[in-house]
Amino acid sequence: MTTIAARLGGPLGAFARARVAGPCAILALLVLVAALTTPRFLDAQNLRNLGLEMAIVAIIAIGSTLVILTAQIDLSPGSIVALTSMSTALLLTEVHMDPVYASLLILALGAGAGLVNGFFSSYGRIPSFIFTLATLSIYRGLAFAENDGTPIFGLGGLSHLFYDELAGVPYPFLYAVVLYALAWAYLRYTRGGRRIYAVGGNESAARLVGIKVNRVRMKVFVIAGILAAFGGLLMSSQLDSGSPDYGQGMELQAIAAAVIGGASLFGGRGSIVATLVGATIIAVVQNVLNLHSVGTAWQNITTGVIIAIAVGIDMWRGEVARVGVAGWRRLSPRRPEPEPVSDEAAARREERENARAGV
Amino acid sequence: MHGEPIWETRSVTKTFPGVRALDKVSVRLHAGEVHALVGENGSGKSTLAKCLSGTYQPEDGHVVQSGRPVELRNPALARELGVAIFYQELSLVPALSVAENVCLDGVASRGGFVSLRGMRRAARGALDRLNVSIDLERSVGELSIAEQQLVELARAISNPDVSLLILDEPTAALGPEEVSRLHRVVRRFAQHAAVLYISHRLEEVLSVADKVTVLRDGRVVGERQTAGSSLREIARLMVGAEIEEYFARSEQDSQRESLLEARDLRTPALPSGVSFVVRRGEVLGLGGLIGSGRSAIARAIYGVDPLVGGELVLDGRSLRLRSPRDAIAAGIAFVPENRKADALFFNLSVPQNISIARLDGVSRGAFLDLGKESSRGREIARMLRLAPGAERREVALLSGGMQQKVVLGRWLFAEAKLLVLDEPTAGIDIGTKRQIYRLIDELTERGVGVVLVSSDYPELLNISDHVAVVRRGRIVHTARRGTLSQGELIELASASENAQAAA
Repeated sequence: MTTIAARLGGPLGAFARARVAGPCAILALLVLVAALTTPRFLDAQNLRNLGLEMAIVAIIAIGSTLVILTAQIDLSPGSIVALTSMSTALLLTEVHMDPVYASLLILALGAGAGLVNGFFSSYGRIPSFIFTLATLSIYRGLAFAENDGTPIFGLGGLSHLFYDELAGVPYPFLYAVVLYALAWAYLRYTRGGRRIYAVGGNESAARLVGIKVNRVRMKVFVIAGILAAFGGLLMSSQLDSGSPDYGQGMELQAIAAAVIGGASLFGGRGSIVATLVGATIIAVVQNVLNLHSVGTAWQNITTGVIIAIAVGIDMWRGEVARVGVAGWRRLSPRRPEPEPVSDEAAARREERENARAGV
Repeated sequence: MHGEPIWETRSVTKTFPGVRALDKVSVRLHAGEVHALVGENGSGKSTLAKCLSGTYQPEDGHVVQSGRPVELRNPALARELGVAIFYQELSLVPALSVAENVCLDGVASRGGFVSLRGMRRAARGALDRLNVSIDLERSVGELSIAEQQLVELARAISNPDVSLLILDEPTAALGPEEVSRLHRVVRRFAQHAAVLYISHRLEEVLSVADKVTVLRDGRVVGERQTAGSSLREIARLMVGAEIEEYFARSEQDSQRESLLEARDLRTPALPSGVSFVVRRGEVLGLGGLIGSGRSAIARAIYGVDPLVGGELVLDGRSLRLRSPRDAIAAGIAFVPENRKADALFFNLSVPQNISIARLDGVSRGAFLDLGKESSRGREIARMLRLAPGAERREVALLSGGMQQKVVLGRWLFAEAKLLVLDEPTAGIDIGTKRQIYRLIDELTERGVGVVLVSSDYPELLNISDHVAVVRRGRIVHTARRGTLSQGELIELASASENAQAAA
């Protein structure tokens, strides 16, 4: 697979070599199978539900991707969803704040939660895995403390901001699309985005080319916090309530979306488009299983298997290709040379290259 | 001179997609002989070593042991048949004792258990075969780097039946004293086994080896007895052309204005303070052993180590460097010794690696101009004589020399006024080395100042306009080019070598 991709030229070859190609192929296959086996899958109503279901996790996954790109991990966004949904509910029902101001305040709360994560994981030198494991617990604890663990229902006033429709397309899905476009442009076309890749690719080298590594690391956590807060707002308006139980396990689904999309947990490799593909894969699988009335148990198991396969394919790419080539060699009567050129031609080519290289 | 070789390769061929790494390579290794393998990067030296140590299997030809073709299907099998390979990267466990480290590959274990007595005996045997004495009970973390390397070597030959020892660039990290110590050990070991010695340093090869095989583009282009061969002849074989003006360096007028002045510079690693001047268009060489303070000076100039005293003056202005960021803003560039760990971004393309230190230079307003980035990258690549199309390849797939050019290109693009180069040609082939020297020369002609830290003494003495010898955090001597011999330099650098090794 790798070798074929390596030989293709032009835009097709470039696409085949890109890491996003694998997840895209899987998604296409998945949609095809879903459409063939599940009559209701392509119904407008179902697609609308699909978009609604995946929006929150997809938005959180943007933050997870940025954090993962800098070779860190954020386990707290699910808890930030709970914290912000409870806070939203309190601001609207107890303080009677204007929904717009309340939303801005909630986003600031998310930024603050992210800042705490980022500060201690970078300047504080506590591994992000450990520190956000702590805040995973702390933020959810705070969400429980806000109303003694009792959910608050009947918020009102939020839906025109977050739960309306535009030409039949639900707002959450639109928000997700816009945020993905912004994140894509940020990573590709700004210095800040490039520095995120640099920090994840080689921390020491990043420092030596003058990048403030800790600041970059803190920044991605703040962005992740804001996006998780946004997820909390969507959740609250969608369910017209706030609850300390919201968002459980969402951090893992978001990380899974990034990883299925091909992001490397070692940092520096991954793309925002691929994460969207990853999030869609998870959503489509769950949607199809729902349509077939498969229970939660098997949904969880299936999602887990998909993660394992996706990461496996990525890790074993080289091996898969090598085994394939070796098998081919054994089967074919004569060994195919990788580059079928005569010695003379090879010598001439080398001479030419040397001459050009100025050796 | 001998009878049958104990190990040999008979027209071994190995290809990788698009490259014939080894093309009918035959090398005969005799017991009692140190056989050197030299060649540019990518000439196939390491591939041949890997074919002999079982990491790669040749597609054609054979590896032959004592006249009998053997198939080395994996490294464990090669080790069993008596091939030991030694890499310069240390892979010891600092917390374990010398004896435990020597037996790390399971020499003294039986059925999953380790016999302490057997381990000590095996370790003692291995060290004896090298004729070195190191306390078996000491933990490796307490040893000097040179001693650790000897332990690593003992570990490589812990199997008593080793009949071939392969050393792949064993001295890249060593000072001259340590090199000659290693060479004594290797010569002694070669009395009863074959040694294949892979190195870039031709001076070393001529002093340690009996025979030298030169590889170029995967083919053997010559085999010589070292006695009676000249460095020049072998270098010519390696690059396939006459080495004219190998160390390209035009004469500088000495009356230039000063670019960088260090006045009693002090950092935690340089407690006694150093002072020196780099003039515009001048190369200041820093010579000395590893750990002498050369690299500490480089780090201080680049703002990596904080100053605790003294000052740095660039272009007449006093600098306050709190980080490399400040140094870059002032026009100072740094090429670190370990380009893989400290300089290159393997997840970024070549143009992106070049632009990273000055992203403003490829931006339009708040945004990156990707078109400009790749066209500027191509320009720099051409200036550096990177192989055509190399700027489109993944950085990880470029040869060491090309990677170093990419790092240099980064600072060319950032238009640095002062370049600090830490071992800029370590592990780089002769052809690229020459191009890097030429590049340094071109840059200095444009008025760029260079601080060159190098353990390659011929390079240091020929490229530098002034050489400062660093010993124990002090500059002990400064000499103009041509007034210091290699012998004098080594003597000055290691006058208190023992005190150094303990540090």
